[in-house]
Amino acid sequence: MLFFRSEERVREWCAAHDYPLRPLVTIEQLWNLSTTWYATRLQENSRRPQPNEMREIFAALGLVGEFWNPASDHFG
Amino acid sequence: MDSDARVKMAVYRHFAETGYPPTPSEVAGRAGMSAADVLDAFPRLRDQRVLVLGEDGASIRMAPPFSGVPTQHVVHVGGIRYFANCAWDSLGIPVALGREAEIDSRCEQSGEPLHLHIGPGGPGPSPWLFHCLVPASQWWNDIVFT
Repeated sequence: MLFFRSEERVREWCAAHDYPLRPLVTIEQLWNLSTTWYATRLQENSRRPQPNEMREIFAALGLVGEFWNPASDHFG
Repeated sequence: MDSDARVKMAVYRHFAETGYPPTPSEVAGRAGMSAADVLDAFPRLRDQRVLVLGEDGASIRMAPPFSGVPTQHVVHVGGIRYFANCAWDSLGIPVALGREAEIDSRCEQSGEPLHLHIGPGGPGPSPWLFHCLVPASQWWNDIVFT
C-alpha cells in the first residue's frame, strides 16, 4: 500500500515490476477511509471491521468491484 | 475489561504515548498482568488481526496503524515520531490519535518526497495517489507484503 506522485508513476512502477495496475485511490478517499477505519482504534471496544462492514465502507467511498471485495477474508 | 482487551489497550497506549512497540514486560506492567499471561494473549490478538507478531512470538511487528519497525512512512504528532505500516496507515495514525500531524513519505517509483500536513479536517487537496497491489480478500495472506 504505497504513495505515488501521479498515475504515470504508478504505471511505470507496475510495468517495471510486472505488476497489474489496480484501482487508484485519491488522497481524499484515503483520508475518508482512514477516518472510518481507525477513528476508534484506541478505544477499549474497538475492533477491525468485519468483511461485510468492510464492503459497506469501501462502497460508501466509491471503492467498488472485485478488487475491493473482502468476501473470502474470514477471520476470528 | 477482559484480559485480552487489557493487553490490547496496553499495547496501543504504549504505541500512542511513545511511538515504539512495547515489550511483553512493558505490556504486563501497563495491564497489571504477568508477562506470561501477556504472551498467552498475543496469539489470540493476532488471530483477531489486532496485532502482527515477530517470528519470536513476543515482539510486535504491527499494531495497525502503528508499525513496530521503522518504515518509509513517518508520522510526527506532538513531538513524537511514529512509523506507519503503509501509506493508508500513515493517515490512520493521526486519525487514531485524534491529532494534527505531519506525514513524510515518498513516491515509490520516483522517490520524490511526499509531505502531508494533516489538519483538523484532514489533508488539503493533493494530486498524490494511493495504490494497493493486493486485492482486499488477500490482504492478510501476507500482511507485511500487503
